[in-house]
Amino acid sequence: MGTLVGTMVDRVAFTVEQGKVLELARATGATSADHTEGGLATATHVVVAGHHRDQQGFVAALGLDIRRIVVGSVSWEYARPLRVGDELVGTRTVVGDETREGRSGTNRLVTLETAWTDPDGAVLVRQREVLVERGAS
Amino acid sequence: MKPPEPRTFGPVTQTDVVRFAGAGGDFNPLHHDPEHARAAGFDAPIAMGQLTAGLLAAWLTDWCGVERLRRFEVRFTAPLHLGDTVILSGSITSVEDGVAHLDLAATGFSSTLVTGTALVAVD
Repeated sequence: MGTLVGTMVDRVAFTVEQGKVLELARATGATSADHTEGGLATATHVVVAGHHRDQQGFVAALGLDIRRIVVGSVSWEYARPLRVGDELVGTRTVVGDETREGRSGTNRLVTLETAWTDPDGAVLVRQREVLVERGAS
Repeated sequence: MKPPEPRTFGPVTQTDVVRFAGAGGDFNPLHHDPEHARAAGFDAPIAMGQLTAGLLAAWLTDWCGVERLRRFEVRFTAPLHLGDTVILSGSITSVEDGVAHLDLAATGFSSTLVTGTALVAVD
């Protein structure tokens, strides 16, 4: 099994829109006026990348078995909150690929990092997801 | 510094899940198609982990303000089932160099769904 570290997974681009900020605020129970009046996105706004990515396709492209994949953890680091009008490009790459013994066999942990940048290339949000491919039983 | 008061969300409905799917773009049928969910070994569709993470983040930033959030991390420990009620809670474990460290949790009826940590800038 070769390591996937360094592989670019995908790149998506979108603009932070007020309507989408309100949709996500309502869907997650956020009540702060920061979102309804202040033009600030909710903390996990970059989840909207789901509209632009092929979530099954990227797993297959990495050679992982989607039937055995679960998301173990996700983290977000913020240089500043996202604002309505921000034009973002998210480049997702593999930054970790290791195996670990679990209760039901050997699990493979693949860490993906998405750098969300503005048009000047500054990273506004750095997101990491750890995919766990459970051992085949 | 006073920690945030817990918040309750739910009982979670299929409508809640579909609303989040439309907002975020996660159309995995495991979250809305009963037949697909049964084939995957569940009695009914389950909510996406990102919904639970989003609930936890929204509760946190309603307290601290999203501008103060420096880092947020979640670890998924159990699926959120329809009909479950989620309790969002947390505590401040330390304050160092103007940054509060928090431990967070989203719990359902019978299990912890998500554990998390956050770093929040404080004055």
